[in-house]
Amino acid sequence: MTEFLDKLRAIIGERGLITDEPGKHPYLTDWRENYLGTALAVVRPASTAEVADVVKLCVAEKVAIVPQGGNTGMMGGGTPRQNSREIVLSLNRMNRIVEIDPIGYTMTVEAGVILKTIQETAARHDRLFPLSLAAEGSCSIGGNLSTNAGGVQVLHYGNARQLVLGIEVVTPQGEVWDGLRALKKDNTGYDLRDLYLGAEGTLGIITRAVLKLWPKPKDTATSWIAVPSPEAAVALLSGAHAASEDNVTSCELMGRQGIDLVLQHIPGSVDPLTERHDWYVLLEWASTRARRQGANETGLAEKMEAYLGEALETGLVLDAALAQNEAQARAFWALRENHSEAQKREGPSIKHDISVSVSKIPAFMKEGLAAMKKVLPECRPVPFGHVGDGNLHFNCQSPPGWDKPRFMAYSEAISSAVYDLVVSYGGSISAEHGIGQLKVEELVHYRSKIELDTMRAIKRALDPLNLMNPGKIIQV
Amino acid sequence: MPDIAIPSIPTVPVTPAVLEGLRAIVGDKGLILDEPGKQPFVTDWRGSLVGSAAVVVRPANTDEVSRVVKLCFDNGVAIVPQGGNTGLMGGATPYPTHSGIVLSLGRMNHVLEVDPVGYSMTVEAGCVLQTLQETAASHDRFFPLSLGAQGSCMIGGNLSTNAGGVQVLRYGNARNLVLGLEVVLPNGDVWNGLRSLKKDNTGYDLKHLFMGAEGTLGVITKAVLKLWPAPKDVATAWLAIRDPQAAIEVLSEAHAASEDNVGSCELMSRTATEMILRHVPGTQDPLKADTPWYLLLEWSSSRLKPEGGEGMSEKMEQFLADQMEVGRVLDAVIAQSEAQSRNMWRIREGAAEASRAEGPGLSYDVSVSISKIPSFIDKGIRAALDILPTIRPYPLGHIGDGNIHFSFMGPKGMDRETLHQYAPAITRAVNDLVRDMAGSISAEHGIGIDKIDELAHYRSRIELDTMRSLKRALDSKNIMNPGKILRL
Repeated sequence: MTEFLDKLRAIIGERGLITDEPGKHPYLTDWRENYLGTALAVVRPASTAEVADVVKLCVAEKVAIVPQGGNTGMMGGGTPRQNSREIVLSLNRMNRIVEIDPIGYTMTVEAGVILKTIQETAARHDRLFPLSLAAEGSCSIGGNLSTNAGGVQVLHYGNARQLVLGIEVVTPQGEVWDGLRALKKDNTGYDLRDLYLGAEGTLGIITRAVLKLWPKPKDTATSWIAVPSPEAAVALLSGAHAASEDNVTSCELMGRQGIDLVLQHIPGSVDPLTERHDWYVLLEWASTRARRQGANETGLAEKMEAYLGEALETGLVLDAALAQNEAQARAFWALRENHSEAQKREGPSIKHDISVSVSKIPAFMKEGLAAMKKVLPECRPVPFGHVGDGNLHFNCQSPPGWDKPRFMAYSEAISSAVYDLVVSYGGSISAEHGIGQLKVEELVHYRSKIELDTMRAIKRALDPLNLMNPGKIIQV
Repeated sequence: MPDIAIPSIPTVPVTPAVLEGLRAIVGDKGLILDEPGKQPFVTDWRGSLVGSAAVVVRPANTDEVSRVVKLCFDNGVAIVPQGGNTGLMGGATPYPTHSGIVLSLGRMNHVLEVDPVGYSMTVEAGCVLQTLQETAASHDRFFPLSLGAQGSCMIGGNLSTNAGGVQVLRYGNARNLVLGLEVVLPNGDVWNGLRSLKKDNTGYDLKHLFMGAEGTLGVITKAVLKLWPAPKDVATAWLAIRDPQAAIEVLSEAHAASEDNVGSCELMSRTATEMILRHVPGTQDPLKADTPWYLLLEWSSSRLKPEGGEGMSEKMEQFLADQMEVGRVLDAVIAQSEAQSRNMWRIREGAAEASRAEGPGLSYDVSVSISKIPSFIDKGIRAALDILPTIRPYPLGHIGDGNIHFSFMGPKGMDRETLHQYAPAITRAVNDLVRDMAGSISAEHGIGIDKIDELAHYRSRIELDTMRSLKRALDSKNIMNPGKILRL
């Protein structure tokens, strides 16, 4: 053990190694504090070569590796297990922007760069990197790619997988695969890139990436809208595509329960509307074309106002507030983005990150809420999500005052009820959060033996010693 | 066959017992045994590769494919899956040493479901691409995959080769046009991944592994395809530009100016344009500008041009005026009619036809990152001229995708055989440059048989080993299109 640590120290130096318990602690528990694992050490390499050397050492010593980015995952994919011979390999020192190419609309980054830094770097070059999610201030791009993160702009730009041209990966053997190609077209054999993306670090460690950039939006309109029902939200979105000239970038649905939690727990939160409503939509349109000067020019704000005005008349919308400036737009977004944090502060909750086809959302919502209540009538459902992607965070807060063990006793029954329903709708039991540790059993339950066997065959082929994030996604 | 040593592949024969088993599954109408009947299935469409097969098997549905593959798996018989047989790299053509079957998907040609509201379409692998385009259009929707062979290529082959074409800039390669797949695995199991979800993070992305694998990991039998709104307002222009660097800058600015409506951006050299005008009947020079570089630029929107309002062509006109002011564009014309726009596209698409008429030549389908295109063209031409100073380069391509068809006419009067003595050195020089610039030696055509040695030469050992590990893991008996893409 001491010998192993000495060898690690020889590779990454003293400052790259954390061995004391208080120092290790933040790396051993997940963001939601559902898991607490153990690790021989937390290893923080500063370069791809160091990552490769660490992996080679681990292969020689038969020590497993848990790659970790910003440690903001929801499924425990970046958290080590208990009492295993594992290290946590944190990418957080590999945080350099390697190159930005505004003309070619690409940016090359190391895995540990914080998502927000990437967004800001793109913006400084008048470009947009569209991946955007609540944890963007602390999550890192390596983790985003390893989990194929979603977020609030998928509707317009796609999942993380669609935002990448090339990646560099350290394989489970400690070799470096240089797939850092800034190419839009490359038909030369198997698509290894898309295999590593979304593999949650079980097939290798993403160390660098070439990201795609987009033109920066120059005209944005954001509204906070009360709607009578999820049906109305879907209909509102459906009409918005044409009304905005295909410029809908976000469409988020929220129930009143979540808003109440945010208003209660997040200081500075204000309800944009005077009356209480059951359902809300946060709608954002963005165009890359700047508003031009002139009295007759209709920008997105005018177009959105006209659209919502019509919707008020037809009853699709009950009330609405159009952001008059960026601060207001940010305040609307904070209400949406603070759902997870508010739920955490309120107490224990069970999360379901599911997707169905968009047109099935209203029916699913109705049946799903009933299904949760049937298991535990006092539970408090907190549904919200990316309605345009068919993706709902179909969460459930504990009854007031319940502690975690008491509530978690119902966890399996509530989740089974939700997932059975999702599967009967042809949906996905993990739309964007992945599998990690939390959904390993569910995946086995809901996916075919053929699919699982194929995944196992791939895992065994690329990681025969099962040292790369073992026990995550799938048991071999 | 090209100048490669044929890889070692399983040579288990189709015994009479196996043949009867096949007959029991697909019936007589699903079997082709006679030599003339087999001929089109064992020859690639260029006629340059001729292989052999014991029998051509044409199943009518997924269940039959599954049982055929299972029978072959149990007996170790090799399988070459085939769609429309229009590939350029021989991926669907059996080797001369192939003793197994060709599995043709041509009878599985049903559109199973069109969902215009959900913007998706579920189809069998043997549907001809053009049929799918037309089916989408009849529902006021758009399936964007578009390429020269669309009248005969099949969607299963398009997905297995991750086909490209002229709309990649806007909509992506074939793999970006798919939501779900059904695949018959090398042991005959059916993987049902026919999901129509926009978001599904549940384990490894098998879909993307099968797409582009050229039938070496399994047989794609069905797909859920994405649809888009049909374009309603299109502007097409022919631009004389300062140089390739200006082309890239024009494209870079065009994204915002068009509000992300750039559909195509094709770079043409004067040499290519002249060659095409010379050989393709009915083509006319859109600009009488004697400048060395041109750009074909097309913007399209799914929104009808508003009455009396500003449409695509007004926006483009303003944009081109701005670009002329800064000196990137020297002259330009926006098509005023369908006929004018067709003429511009006829010139772009006439390159293959014109090059055949012109005489022997060489062509490379390469990609580099977009910013490196000018430097690649410059260095690549110099490298080729160093080897053969009288060779005549005529580069063109999908500049928005970083994809150059880096082509050369032979020197005037030089015959094919003499030119081909220079070919290996030029190929090496061009592909070395591609490697040095971190590009791809096959941007859209794949590897198949033709580039198997080139891939082995240019890709790292780690990458090749990873691919081999995957192949062995999923096709333990090496019966699924063996010897394509990789030597094991």
